[in-house]
Amino acid sequence: MKPLQRGENIKAFAFTLPAMVPLTVFWFGPLVYLIYLSFMEWDFMSPDKLFVGIDNYRELFTDSNFHQSVRVSVLFCLGSVIPILVCGLALALLLNRKMKGGGLYRTLMFSPWVTPTVAVSIVWSWIFEPEVGLLNSILGAFGIHGITWLNDPHWALVGILLVTIWKSAGWSMIFYLVAIRNVPSDMLEAAELDGANSWRKFVHITVPLISPTTFFLIVVQVIQALQAYDQINVLTQGGPAGSTRTILYFYYQSAFEAFNIGQASTVSVVLVFGCVLLSIVSFVVGRRTVHYS
Amino acid sequence: MQKGSRLGLLVRQLLLAASAFIVAFPFYWMATSALKTNDEIWQFPPTLWPVSPQWGNYFDAWVEAPFWRYMLNSIIVAGAIVIIQIFNSATMAYALTHMKFRLNNAFTALILVGYMIPSTAVYLPSYMVLSKLGLLDSYTGLILSNCVSVFSIFLIRQAFLQTSHELVEAGQMDGATHLRILWTILVPLTRSSFAVLALITFIEQYNNYFWPMLITKSPELQLISSGLRSFFVEGGAYGLKWPLIMAASAFTIAPLLLLFAFTQKTIMSSVNLTAGVSKG
Repeated sequence: MKPLQRGENIKAFAFTLPAMVPLTVFWFGPLVYLIYLSFMEWDFMSPDKLFVGIDNYRELFTDSNFHQSVRVSVLFCLGSVIPILVCGLALALLLNRKMKGGGLYRTLMFSPWVTPTVAVSIVWSWIFEPEVGLLNSILGAFGIHGITWLNDPHWALVGILLVTIWKSAGWSMIFYLVAIRNVPSDMLEAAELDGANSWRKFVHITVPLISPTTFFLIVVQVIQALQAYDQINVLTQGGPAGSTRTILYFYYQSAFEAFNIGQASTVSVVLVFGCVLLSIVSFVVGRRTVHYS
Repeated sequence: MQKGSRLGLLVRQLLLAASAFIVAFPFYWMATSALKTNDEIWQFPPTLWPVSPQWGNYFDAWVEAPFWRYMLNSIIVAGAIVIIQIFNSATMAYALTHMKFRLNNAFTALILVGYMIPSTAVYLPSYMVLSKLGLLDSYTGLILSNCVSVFSIFLIRQAFLQTSHELVEAGQMDGATHLRILWTILVPLTRSSFAVLALITFIEQYNNYFWPMLITKSPELQLISSGLRSFFVEGGAYGLKWPLIMAASAFTIAPLLLLFAFTQKTIMSSVNLTAGVSKG
């Protein structure tokens, strides 16, 4: 190697160090360690770790609690991502035209996104209060009684999803607003001349042209949903009867409550592989179907 | 477009008003529940506005737990992380976009992989690393373990890719060092991306809960979210002192809404930049 080139190499490495050192210590290193731990049995306290091969994996895949957590995570993803996208798009369509107070509405809808999840979850836990809470008072006026929300295995997840949707719908709205503005108006006008009504224009022109945004939002929101912790921790701690225990919460409980390090690491490895697989699939699907202009 | 469709406009306005109401009402409910007495808050049906507003509740909540300390902790930690991330994202992005070196592609790929992996997944081994380093329950541990963000690097990398290479080459011809080119040419040109990085990172870290809660145990090191959560659960506050809990939530949320009110243009403009990140 020429000396000039070597000097350039060293300089470049020096530039990457401030980011690469913490990344290696707190991210890539731990990731490798995690895979190692998933083949061990350990309780965090005892000095020795016991090598158990793939036993942790075998146990995990037959564990009914884990199966339940996978179901909850899938429900969480569907139940948060779809409404967040639909509400975001609907709000963006409503706000698309210039009108009085449009800016104010936009700011307001977006504001929940900047607030701490813990604080707003506490506020919502008061809204969900079964006896005198706001939500049940309103439902009561319509003759609906007796939903105990966070204490009811059928409704607790719905409650958590409501908070999640409330917090993120405005965020996806902003993305859709930008996307809709970038739809070329001459295409819409041409379609109008051909006699297309608003609905047909929306379905055949707007929806395909904003598909990159939809695609981006799906990927980001799915990863967000898989990582959701704060609202679950404040509202239900995974209960009642495991009805809100996602894969991530299952991992948290086995790691930091049960100190079953082997099991926790295994769950985590599965989660990581799931995310990587999802990213690859979404990348391939995105390349094939999404309409990038 | 149906021009002048009065009915359409009216429906649109009504739907918007209804959605805005749903979004904003929890904030109103929080602020006014905080003003109620313990008796009134358990009344059915609930009152929309407290009979005699107990403004003192806010003060009582503020002194009941060391909230000023929690907030200060959050501000110090989030501020330090922002400063470090501006620095290491800039140098890393510069190396990836403007320097030719071995492993350049490997590093770019590594960052890409890092972007796909949920950070929560590595909390357990990271916890052990911090414990080995003796950095659990310390500001240093809190700041160092959060001091690099793959998202921030991506954001800045994207911004640097879009600036013209001619300016950088001109700088190199003049014999300017890489550091000089970075700080006097590239950073000023891409300052809007850095503003977005600073704001988003600050908000994220100020609100951060899961990881700080895991690695801090002493109350005087807790960030605002875990401090608020402790107040909610412990100290007899659970279910008994709802007005105080609502007051505490209100002054936890207020600074962020205020920050957002002043910087909304920058925060909402981040959309174009973040959408760009995903295509990188």
